[in-house]
Amino acid sequence: MEVHGLQFRYPDGAEALCGVNLTIAEGECVGLIGPNGAGKSTLLLHLNGILPENPGVSSSVSVFGQPITAATLPMIRRDVGLLFQDPDDQLFCPTVFEDVSFGPKQFGLAGEQVATVVRKALEQVGLTGFENRLPHHLSRGEKRRVCLAGVLACQPRVLVLDEPSSDLDPSGKRELKALLKQIPATKIIATHDLELVVELCPRAIVLDRGKIVADGSAIELLNDETLMLAHGLERPHILRHCHPH
Amino acid sequence: MHIPDGFVDAKTAVTSGVLAVTGVGIALWQAKRTLPARRVPMLGLASAFVFAAQMLNFPVAGGTSGHLIGATLVAVLLGPSAAAIALAAVLVVQCFLFNDGGLTALGANIFNMAIVATLVGYGVYRLVRRFAPGQRGLILAAAFAGWCSTVAAAISCAGQLAISGTVPWSVSFPAMAGVHMLIGIGEGLITALVILAITKLRADLLDNTTSSVATPVTAFVGFGLVAALGLALFVSPFACKWPDGLEKIAATLGFEHHALEKPLLPAPISNYALPGINSAVVATALAGVIGTVIVFALSWVLARVLIPKPTAESR
Amino acid sequence: MGVGAGIDPQTHGGKSLMHHEFLDRYSRLDSPVHRLPAALKFVLALIFVFVTVALPLAAREWFIGLFAMLVAIAALSRIPWLFLLKRLLFLEPFVLGVAVLTLFQPNGIRVFATIFVRSTLCLLTMVLLSNTTPFATILQVLRRVRVPALFVTTLALMYRYLFVLVDEAERMHRARASRTFTPKTSGNHAHRIHLWQMLGTVIGQLFVRSTERAERIYAAMLARGWR
Repeated sequence: MEVHGLQFRYPDGAEALCGVNLTIAEGECVGLIGPNGAGKSTLLLHLNGILPENPGVSSSVSVFGQPITAATLPMIRRDVGLLFQDPDDQLFCPTVFEDVSFGPKQFGLAGEQVATVVRKALEQVGLTGFENRLPHHLSRGEKRRVCLAGVLACQPRVLVLDEPSSDLDPSGKRELKALLKQIPATKIIATHDLELVVELCPRAIVLDRGKIVADGSAIELLNDETLMLAHGLERPHILRHCHPH
Repeated sequence: MHIPDGFVDAKTAVTSGVLAVTGVGIALWQAKRTLPARRVPMLGLASAFVFAAQMLNFPVAGGTSGHLIGATLVAVLLGPSAAAIALAAVLVVQCFLFNDGGLTALGANIFNMAIVATLVGYGVYRLVRRFAPGQRGLILAAAFAGWCSTVAAAISCAGQLAISGTVPWSVSFPAMAGVHMLIGIGEGLITALVILAITKLRADLLDNTTSSVATPVTAFVGFGLVAALGLALFVSPFACKWPDGLEKIAATLGFEHHALEKPLLPAPISNYALPGINSAVVATALAGVIGTVIVFALSWVLARVLIPKPTAESR
Repeated sequence: MGVGAGIDPQTHGGKSLMHHEFLDRYSRLDSPVHRLPAALKFVLALIFVFVTVALPLAAREWFIGLFAMLVAIAALSRIPWLFLLKRLLFLEPFVLGVAVLTLFQPNGIRVFATIFVRSTLCLLTMVLLSNTTPFATILQVLRRVRVPALFVTTLALMYRYLFVLVDEAERMHRARASRTFTPKTSGNHAHRIHLWQMLGTVIGQLFVRSTERAERIYAAMLARGWR
């Protein structure tokens, strides 16, 4: 995935991106960190073409060599799976089965294939047998896992996650980490959970006020106390006591 | 005013059902043509919003409380087609999930609350806005339109009950219209207050309202026809005749004719009887006319109270 | 709901909705009735209700027959009797509220009685329908009968988010109420005005939040390939 000089400004002038450049190789797992309002979510929305709203002919973002244009959007959306921050926004169908099957159906699957894909996706996230459950009866962690299943059902090659561990209790976080470790796709994780970054992401990118201010080995960056404090973060506790790698 | 099953007879149920389907159908057709894809989820959320808003009660006089219909509110915010669809969706879910409102009465309920209320509310709103632009005009229009829509829906409901032979017009009209003239005040007040709150929070939402589901003249006329037809069927047989004439109508329409006996219970019309007038219907109609004027005046006062004197720049 | 006089709809919105589970608690039981296809139940309910409404007053045996059938279905469905009874009792006041009006006419009591019987039978039918058929399946039936997609989508989204919004509304209401301090004793007047304004603000905020949520849902739909 390549991003060249990405600039963006919301219609009301808020939260802009001021020239973002980055390259992510296949199979990498990258943590995107930064203070609130840095533009992390905005950046993520550009990675599968939701922003800008009218993709023009030239684009700042290309995925697997293809620039994001109106023509390539369907393919991009299939290859890049985006997990939103609030599972209530993403789990919009009346039943779990309908929601997880939403993606595959949009991409042309039908009938028995759909059921198989849904079943596999639910198994992957540890929610076997949840097909007929109703969203408003699920816990937050379960909703999040259903959303993940819904994204995985599209079999994306790149997984983009926006704050996947927010609102999760410690056991939920543990389950999430285990889950993510198993998924082979390229992963880009925007998060405040620095411990998650340490455990999952060899590489970290620090975003502040719409610009990338650091890009490199996660451990090095997170250990750099000055850097962390300068951008509204802090050195994660786990690094103060040991080096897991 | 969700009518349960059993109050609307077969022919009324079928007629109102056809009218409801036609009206909502027009709205859907209109929406499909003009609603941009990004606004589709908004319809669903608007329905959920109406439902949630209806759950919140407001205190009326004494110990009673009323609740919002919401048709005018949504019509002002999202346009009449969207309002019709949203209200219809709410009524369907209420019928099937909460058993609030009967299945045979669904057509009547949708006609009253999703079509008549929407149309009257939106129509009155636009009409008043034409003569009263600006912030105060907004409040005035919203409040008055809210009241009118509630009362109109109630009258339609009364008509359906009467035509079904369930409740005679001389009882249903004063009861329904009378009570809803009071409840309507709440609707008007809430509609105005909510619109005001939204102008303070996100004024931009009000600008692109009417264009979100643009309702050009043809669709509006179609809507209007459906509503007018329904009202003609349900209300006009009664509107122009004295209660005594009801028997004549019943006979012509081939009703089951109840033998005229002395009423078992005296009708509680003393509240509505103005001195010197015996008929509850006439009294209610008069009260309605007076009420309209009063509510308009009240809305005007409300607008002045809520919106401070406009400064030179906002004029 | 119903003619408001004397009936406080607070109970409909307040307590019972906070326990959302009551709505779908029994719609996923396993019983011969539950296993019937949704379309069939839907049509049956429609027939039942229509027949009940259309039957002339004199056909007393029919009413009894219908009642017996409904009781049989209720028994087969394994829904707890107490639950059914509670639902009926809860819904009856809305019927009675309007039915009272029928008394004010010649022969009113007879009309009242018939309406009451009809209405209750229909209520029972609908309660049985909604408690043996998950709403999601009703939506599927609607889709199959070619109800316009826009309407079905609206219904689906409404069903999905109504609990979310009601929760939000309650939370906002409580938050506001706990921040406002207008002692009730300082004249009913001021307190009441405050309540109204609060209500207006809560509903207004709810609308704004709904709009914003709708935008996010749209983004989520796009992200999974919706066109």
